Amino acid sequence: MATTTATITINSTDLLTDELSLTSTATLTTAGTSTGVTQTSGLARKTTGNFTPDTAAGIQANVLYRAGDYTADKANKVYIKNTSTTAAEYFTVHIDQEELGRLYAGDWMFMPWSATSGTKAAFTVTIAATWAAGDTWEFDGITMTAADADLDNIAGQLDGLNYPNWTTTWVTGEVTVIFTARYASDASEVVYATADGTLDTAGNGTADISSSTAGTASESDITIRPSVHTAMTYETLLINE
Amino acid sequence: MATTTAAVTLTSDLLSDNMSVTASTTCMKAGTTADGLDQMEYGYLDLVTGDEYDLIGATPTVSKASKLYLKNHSTDETYFIAITQGTQAIGKLYGGDWMFIPADFHDAAGEIAITANGGTNKICYALFHEGITLNASA
Repeated sequence: MATTTATITINSTDLLTDELSLTSTATLTTAGTSTGVTQTSGLARKTTGNFTPDTAAGIQANVLYRAGDYTADKANKVYIKNTSTTAAEYFTVHIDQEELGRLYAGDWMFMPWSATSGTKAAFTVTIAATWAAGDTWEFDGITMTAADADLDNIAGQLDGLNYPNWTTTWVTGEVTVIFTARYASDASEVVYATADGTLDTAGNGTADISSSTAGTASESDITIRPSVHTAMTYETLLINE
Repeated sequence: MATTTAAVTLTSDLLSDNMSVTASTTCMKAGTTADGLDQMEYGYLDLVTGDEYDLIGATPTVSKASKLYLKNHSTDETYFIAITQGTQAIGKLYGGDWMFIPADFHDAAGEIAITANGGTNKICYALFHEGITLNASA
């Protein structure tokens, strides 16, 4: 079993009348158990800047971790450090839209993370009627070209492509493919219709979309917003189940 | 000025190579390098299952560099406290876990609350700040 520990030491000789010295070590385990956590993002480092426009008005938040990528309500932990040495520079840390606080130059934080996601939009595509080799169906910028006229083979081809914003589920022999959004969102991924896929068939083949599920926004993505548009660097680490 | 340092060490053998991350910061007032946080609130409490507790009874000055340390001293790994800020869930601290976060308490809805689960959780907290507004007496 992997052993991951987090130790904090807080010291001050002059904040109080007496000396303050606090040390605590936590062995990071999965939720409600004594089993060590097993996954981590590894330590990452990124420099912000080059915004459009590259002025204060162009500052945008960086998404550190998307809740939908992790299991909710576990014993996840997040570490973030502002490596800036300019005292006035800070990152504002948000969970979803809630402002947690500011990390000034040199500051770090370590916190649990609920990773509460929203609902990922989903729909089902059914390959039906008469298709021919060479027929195409385009969705999410990806074009599937039928290798033959076999409907379940075509469904399998749809499943085998890599869509930038969607994942797919298909069972061998079936003519249906379930598309699921990679990220929970209610911004644009709402109910999908057949018209969202572009079909070009020599026959009367169809690729109807049904059983659409509207997405809802993620509830705890972690974002940080730099205070200046010039370069600022942060380091981050996620330990998760 | 008061000088308070907070250091963290993260170590793990869950990767192919050992991981060790260390960081240390001197807790300064917002935007300064010469003036440390000089005020502190500290507490230790037993929190019964289901009880929700507003961690900070006063309102620290907003948008500053306040730091909040919170530890669940429970020894039962199934016990945990759920931490929220306003209506936003932050996460859960299980028995033995701690957290250290910047906390700017931007408005009344930004207060941090904890709720005990599993049993009576033993909680320790410390807030380092640069000024608070006392809440009006009821």
